Amino acid sequence: MALALRLQKSPMPGFGLGMGITLAMLSLVVILPVVALLARGVSYGPEAVWATINTPRVWAALYLSFRLAFLAALFNLVFGSLLAWVLARYDFPGRRLIDAFVDLPFALPTAVAGIALTALYAPNGTFGSIAKSLDGKIAYTQWGILIALIFVGLPFVTRTVQPVIAEIEQEVEEASATLGAGRFYTMRRVILPMLLPAALTGFALSLARAVGEYGSVIFIAGNLPMKTEIAPLLIVIKLEEFDYGGAAAIGIAMLVISFSMLLVINLIQIWSRRRIGHV
Amino acid sequence: MFDGSPEDHIPVPAARTSAWRPVTQESPLVRAVLIAVALGGLAILVVAPLIVVFAEALAKGAGEALRSLAKPEALSAIRLTLIVAAITVPLNAIFGIAAAWTITKFDFRGKAFLITLIDLPFSISPVVAGLALVLLFGTNSLIGGWLVAQNFPIIFALPGIVLASIFVTFPFVARELIPVMIEQGRAEEEAALTLGASGWRVFLTVTLPNIKWALLYGVLLCNARAMGEFGAVAVVSGKIRGQTATMPITIEMMYNEYFSVAAFSLATVLALLGLLTLALKTLLEWRHADQLAATRRH
Repeated sequence: MALALRLQKSPMPGFGLGMGITLAMLSLVVILPVVALLARGVSYGPEAVWATINTPRVWAALYLSFRLAFLAALFNLVFGSLLAWVLARYDFPGRRLIDAFVDLPFALPTAVAGIALTALYAPNGTFGSIAKSLDGKIAYTQWGILIALIFVGLPFVTRTVQPVIAEIEQEVEEASATLGAGRFYTMRRVILPMLLPAALTGFALSLARAVGEYGSVIFIAGNLPMKTEIAPLLIVIKLEEFDYGGAAAIGIAMLVISFSMLLVINLIQIWSRRRIGHV
Repeated sequence: MFDGSPEDHIPVPAARTSAWRPVTQESPLVRAVLIAVALGGLAILVVAPLIVVFAEALAKGAGEALRSLAKPEALSAIRLTLIVAAITVPLNAIFGIAAAWTITKFDFRGKAFLITLIDLPFSISPVVAGLALVLLFGTNSLIGGWLVAQNFPIIFALPGIVLASIFVTFPFVARELIPVMIEQGRAEEEAALTLGASGWRVFLTVTLPNIKWALLYGVLLCNARAMGEFGAVAVVSGKIRGQTATMPITIEMMYNEYFSVAAFSLATVLALLGLLTLALKTLLEWRHADQLAATRRH
């Protein structure tokens, strides 16, 4: 394999074995299946792929998935940063326990989160009944999907930003204060720019997770075509109809849009790192 | 670190101490509001769903919950999930160690690209991952058709579920080990080699003790995700009752059939596993923080 080009001779043993296991697993589990997906798109034909995607139902699902994932990641960017600040800077009883609980969405299986959120926000649930008394509805609407996506992506921003806050030297803040800046000004002009690259990393991870999320969403979504039907669900529906070409077309569309978004975020990150000059 | 008590820095007249506040701190009111928003948000978004799982499972009493767990459908789901995790986690650990060893102990062209490929599963929807596996190994594909003829079906069978679980947990162990092994460098291994130790001996007696806590950390996260994966497994398993229905899949089937107590009882088992994972993970972070990766993103 081209990857195995060795540049430096090393006395360390095990390169062949390690690289062999790595490439074998990578090929079998990740690369070959993704290639099979792309190959299916090619054999299905570009026109057929486009014809599958270019229907109102598929556009609606893709728009819904990416729009709500973006909004959920945005919420997590703000709330996750606030949470990171509170956990890193303030001391209050139970702080370490709460710190541990931030990771619960990673540890709780998505199907469990899905039925729990549905039970909570359904019209007869604890929060759902409050919404109902105010003539609102959360579960089985786009609000329900948004809540599920916020849940699964919640820890990412906190976990990327928290270590950066812990490393900020307080002299910087003191310098800002002695130069006459108020606390709010220091926050906005000194601290936030330092947190931005890490926060963007967390935002990107949260976004990628939310775009592809399935388990926690399908229970609370209601799954009405054109209204609350997410893109991954459309793939499952196509597969159940044995329309493999159609499923591959939507899968490829999701891959292309996700990677383009992540690329843009990466570029913004490079730009913000360069602008600040360090971190 | 600066602990915020003014006495450490400037002698302040006693009468003014209460009003005195370091310039690097927010006013008490702002602090209180931020803490309240953070805790309130966390309670609504994260803690409430967890409590609901237990409450719904116990809605008709603990006896009913336990009886639903003893049903064959639930038991076979628990068995299958344990089998899947027992295959997935060791394979992923071996891959993670091999990848981390290759990436951190050698210099070669394309290393950054290899790391990108290992991280790739994080940016692919589990449903798309399952779809890709179906297209590669399904009955009407080239490889899949041949394997079915050899009486070794992958899709709608255990191997497919394992492959899907490995896909979604792919970077967990490697990502945990790579930063730790970069930090530790190669000097200790090189010293052992010059003293005549064999490659395996170096790995077992030098490298492994250095990375054991990071490895355990990665394995914990990998196990939690492998046991709880839904999207990718839903696509490749075919959801055959008693055969390819893992715990999350069985929870979905029970829930859709309005067996709420049964669904939430099985969900409770997975939620307890999640809490156990969190507890062990937190314990590792407290006890062995110095031997774990400094920043974690998963």
